[in-house]
Amino acid sequence: MMTETPTAFELTFQPNVELISTVRRFLSDFYERMIEDHDTVSRIALATHELLENAVKYASDGATFLSVTFEPGATSSTVSIRLMNRANAEHIAAVATIFEEMSLHDDPFGHYQIAMARSAKRKVGSGLGLVRVRAEGEMTMSHTIEDDRVTILAQTTVTARRRS
Amino acid sequence: MSAASDLSVALRDFSANVRAEDRSLILRLSGNADMAAKDSLDSLLPRVHAEAQRISATEVQVDFRNLEFMNSSCFKSFVTWISEIGDLERSKEYKIRLLSNPEMHWQRRSLHALRCFAVDLISVES
Repeated sequence: MMTETPTAFELTFQPNVELISTVRRFLSDFYERMIEDHDTVSRIALATHELLENAVKYASDGATFLSVTFEPGATSSTVSIRLMNRANAEHIAAVATIFEEMSLHDDPFGHYQIAMARSAKRKVGSGLGLVRVRAEGEMTMSHTIEDDRVTILAQTTVTARRRS
Repeated sequence: MSAASDLSVALRDFSANVRAEDRSLILRLSGNADMAAKDSLDSLLPRVHAEAQRISATEVQVDFRNLEFMNSSCFKSFVTWISEIGDLERSKEYKIRLLSNPEMHWQRRSLHALRCFAVDLISVES
């Protein structure tokens, strides 16, 4: 069964390596009770983990706001993962570059393969996190920048199965 | 020079070990490959690569079946390893067989992405 009730999970915290996996496991457990499709739950967990790690690496003050919402609809439901943190100018530019690149590649998986080839030769960082969320998480990605606040939104649609 | 038995990692939440079987190596991963595992994996995979070349391995099996999760940083470690195999002379290349667990749903997409990255070198089994 899939829940017919909107749900929202919000967390403001200073994530560290251990807490990220803790949050991922909690979200998996929580949404497995809401969404019967375990593959969808896995995609939500992966996306949340990658976005949180991104925040840990780049948040200028460490503080991160995470929101995960589930909005059921008649024929499909929407899951939205929103991450907000402050970042320095260098990271803001890097995020903007990744989103610009994603906008130039209509095929998320094709873009992922390009990013993997580039990543293989990188000495620092993978450059794969956000690209992976889009490709493996099958998420629609967008971002906004207001002053030094970066918000990343990842969304996916789940086919609703009505209660019989 | 390292023997397969020296190739292991034991962290609180992640472990890896390697054993040799004829001209194959079997790399078994378990736990949670997140940021805490990144440095260990970065150190381990080049040593697995070196050992595979030392014994003229025809194949390395990577057993993901007990791996709960792998983040993009650890995923990148595999991408780099696979790229290095692809850079070898053809006669020195070896294959990689990825063993997956269908109940770990992330593995289907992640291992498929790795296979597509080097389709001649990699196979995936569940």
